Amino acid sequence: MSIIQVTNLKKNFGQNEVLQGIDLSINKSEVVVIMGPSGSGKSTLLRCLNFLEEPSAGTIEIGDYQVIAGGKMDRKRKKVIRELRKRTGFVFQSFNLFPHKTAIENVMEGPIAIHGTSKEEARKLAESQLIKVGLGDRCDHYPVQLSGGQQQRVAIARSLALNPLVMLYDEPTSALDPELVQEVLHVIKALALEGMTMIIVTHEMNFAKEVADRVVFMDNGLIVEQGTSEEIFGSPKEERTRKFLSMVE
Amino acid sequence: MDFTIIIDSLPSLLKATLMTILLAGISIVIALLIGFITAIVRIIKVKFLHKVAGLYVSVIRGTPLLVQIFVIYYGLPQIGISLDPISSGIVALSLNAGAYLSESFRASILAVDHGQTEAAMSMGMTYAQSLKRIILPQSLRIAIPTLSNSFIILIKDTSLVSVITVTELLQMSSLIIAKTFEPLTIYLIAAAIYWVVISSFTVLLDKMELRTSKYLVR
Repeated sequence: MSIIQVTNLKKNFGQNEVLQGIDLSINKSEVVVIMGPSGSGKSTLLRCLNFLEEPSAGTIEIGDYQVIAGGKMDRKRKKVIRELRKRTGFVFQSFNLFPHKTAIENVMEGPIAIHGTSKEEARKLAESQLIKVGLGDRCDHYPVQLSGGQQQRVAIARSLALNPLVMLYDEPTSALDPELVQEVLHVIKALALEGMTMIIVTHEMNFAKEVADRVVFMDNGLIVEQGTSEEIFGSPKEERTRKFLSMVE
Repeated sequence: MDFTIIIDSLPSLLKATLMTILLAGISIVIALLIGFITAIVRIIKVKFLHKVAGLYVSVIRGTPLLVQIFVIYYGLPQIGISLDPISSGIVALSLNAGAYLSESFRASILAVDHGQTEAAMSMGMTYAQSLKRIILPQSLRIAIPTLSNSFIILIKDTSLVSVITVTELLQMSSLIIAKTFEPLTIYLIAAAIYWVVISSFTVLLDKMELRTSKYLVR
């Protein structure tokens, strides 16, 4: 049962055709890892899914909401896009935590602002989310007092607090010191085991091998091939896939 | 320098300083309102209004304050709007500072990292929500240095209102000098009073800047 359906997604930045027609279908509880060289369009694809980038053409369906590219940005369309965003949790490479709020206030922000949850309810919810990502003792710390790995885990908790249908990770560990990468991957792995539907753009090959139900290899704005991690890492069919894997491993 | 002159003239000068502070205080509050609304209108590009706002900023910044004061006090009566000197002064000072403040606000909002807006919007917030909850609180700290510049300039600009007969500090100084013929003494005292007022105000603003930077200190 597909939760996300992307049809013929295209995105141009001026003359630059970053996405040249992507068709992708994600099922409930599936963990999909997207890999590819720099400039292949992986981050752009992810950012189109929650409309941080407006696609130039194509259709995006998440849950019951569907948005067709190129429509006039009127109030109704803005509302649909907002509803779409409420159902996707986005985790940024540079965390983007709110620096003027403590860890727990960051996690409380979503429920309070979006779901209208009361402060007390939101606080309880946020505390349980922070405990879940292993930061129960850091609730009242400001982002500036946390390490990169801790900040990213707070960012994950912040997205989880809105109970999304799918989590989107845009290179979640690329900005972290190597020794902090594992603590974040550990949290993502745990979420995958719980059945959260996830799309992860990452360069962490070993991690992909462990968690991915499906690996999608992109190059030049197109999906070159996709399959299980055994298929893609073990016996890639396309020359470009093999070339990429040999350079990275 | 005759010290009795200093002591004799101090009460009048200090009373006039109260007028200066009153003019500055009221104008700052109104200017903050005008500046903030203008900045928001221009940032979210409210239909038609944002062009009016742009024109307002351009005209105010492109004309001397003294000309603006004269237009309001001497010019407006010609089309039937007569304001007394103090009101004219406040209107002119507010409109003038408002334009500069709007640019300060606009710059401070634009200076907040774009990733913050992205994080807020990807949660499903409206732009208005992201402004109110995430962007504006962070922009305040950034805005304070340029805001305080404008406030200080406004306090000094109150001296221009002396030309439309408002008895603030500069006007009072000139009146006393007409009686005592001690320009150096009196003008130096006036300058010293301006300095004390502005320095005290700066201390307040520094405290405000520290308060809004709490979350950045480990």
